[in-house]
Amino acid sequence: MLTPYDFQENLQQRAQYIRNRLRAGSPVIGISYDNGVLLLALKRRGRKVYEIYDRLMFSAIGNQADVENLRLAAIDFSHQEGFVRSPDDVTIQRVVGFALSPALKKAFGDPLTTPFVARALFAELHDTPERDLFYTLNYDGEFLPYERFAVIGGTTTAEEQATRYLEANLSGVPTFETSVALALTAWGVAYEAAQQEDIDTVSEEAGRARLREMLGEAQVELGVLERRTLRENRFRLIPQEQLEPFLRRL
Amino acid sequence: MLNPVAAPASAPNAALEVHGTTVIALKFKGGVLNVGDRRATAANAVMYDRADKIIPLDDHTLIAIAGAYGRAMEVVRYLRHAFKYYARSQLQPMSLDGKLQEVSRALSANLPNALGGIGLFIPILSVYDPDQDRGRIFFYDVSGARFETPEYGAAGSGSERIRGVFDYITKTKGPFSERPMEEALREAILLLDIAADLDAATGGIDKILPTARYATRDGVFEVPESTIREIVQSIRSGGNA
Repeated sequence: MLTPYDFQENLQQRAQYIRNRLRAGSPVIGISYDNGVLLLALKRRGRKVYEIYDRLMFSAIGNQADVENLRLAAIDFSHQEGFVRSPDDVTIQRVVGFALSPALKKAFGDPLTTPFVARALFAELHDTPERDLFYTLNYDGEFLPYERFAVIGGTTTAEEQATRYLEANLSGVPTFETSVALALTAWGVAYEAAQQEDIDTVSEEAGRARLREMLGEAQVELGVLERRTLRENRFRLIPQEQLEPFLRRL
Repeated sequence: MLNPVAAPASAPNAALEVHGTTVIALKFKGGVLNVGDRRATAANAVMYDRADKIIPLDDHTLIAIAGAYGRAMEVVRYLRHAFKYYARSQLQPMSLDGKLQEVSRALSANLPNALGGIGLFIPILSVYDPDQDRGRIFFYDVSGARFETPEYGAAGSGSERIRGVFDYITKTKGPFSERPMEEALREAILLLDIAADLDAATGGIDKILPTARYATRDGVFEVPESTIREIVQSIRSGGNA
């Protein structure tokens, strides 16, 4: 039967449209290490990894304006909460689950608005690595918590491949050096997997080769939240010169 | 004439209110140092002897407060959020002038309270200025007027009593801004000791150690308790000759 408006078809088309646009997105890898959490991404021009609040940072793939909207909404909510109550009341679960997810879901389901083209990764720092948290947030409002590490990429395969690599190679609580090296390779694996239509396994070598190739046109951006620091701000972007030794070893 | 050492006049109903006492800001080579005692008083009662009156606002800025503790803490909380919110949302830090203006605004908004006799406080803002690669100190009057001071600033009930000592030190030993941090720290703790001798409301350095923080190119740091304890012990054992 032909109906003038098919709800399910509409949602499928919207999801398809967003997935096609996310496909080219450059992955983001998050890892919790002994003295903090990190988010690693590659950037061409603009920034990729952002500070949200004292112990909260964020990165996303998708449309620049949508990513910016999410970022500002998260910052607004966190600072209002932190000021009215206490910085301790600003938690990843409240920011993602209550402040952002319903708005994404609404935009996705409403046929009269443009849906968000974005997939985001949030990282929250705690006093011990065991309690650090990651949340992924999808264009349709779905969100999922992760411990130890988390990945977002242009396709589901990309995320699965990088996750498999990290699961196989990440043991215990890593140091900063180990986690940067692992995050770089995981990034290459995810990006390589997103480029292939049908693929069983992406090898580490293929991942690293893809990363080396990409480094010709893009730069690594590494944001960290430091667990023990004398600074007032825990968030910090690691300067390029500090990344050089890791890149030389690729 | 304007005076970098400002003591708030006593309020008519100050007995109701908790007041922080003496804070000192000194420049040193490459940055700026803040030292404060820990005492908070209400009229002549000691309300609290572990008050922290030197608070980082961001990675380049320290605020030292004297006067009404409750009101000051509320303003400090606002400023911390305002500066961080700006830097995070705009992806660049607020300009130094913007920050100074924000403090002025907070003070002038507080003026009706201050005139009513409650909530009067005086802040000193110490910043590391990355454009000029040096520390800078700004002080305010109650209405929010802002002044920059070349070498030092102090506020609180004990500060007026030691005003001349700052000048004596700069005239005999040279400007603070040319001396290393360790020397400035020692001078500041000694100044606080003198202030406590001359002012009943200043907590001094013996019973509870004072707090010290400094701002340099690398950020805002707290001076470890052990360092302060060593200096206090050396002053007490006559090592200051």
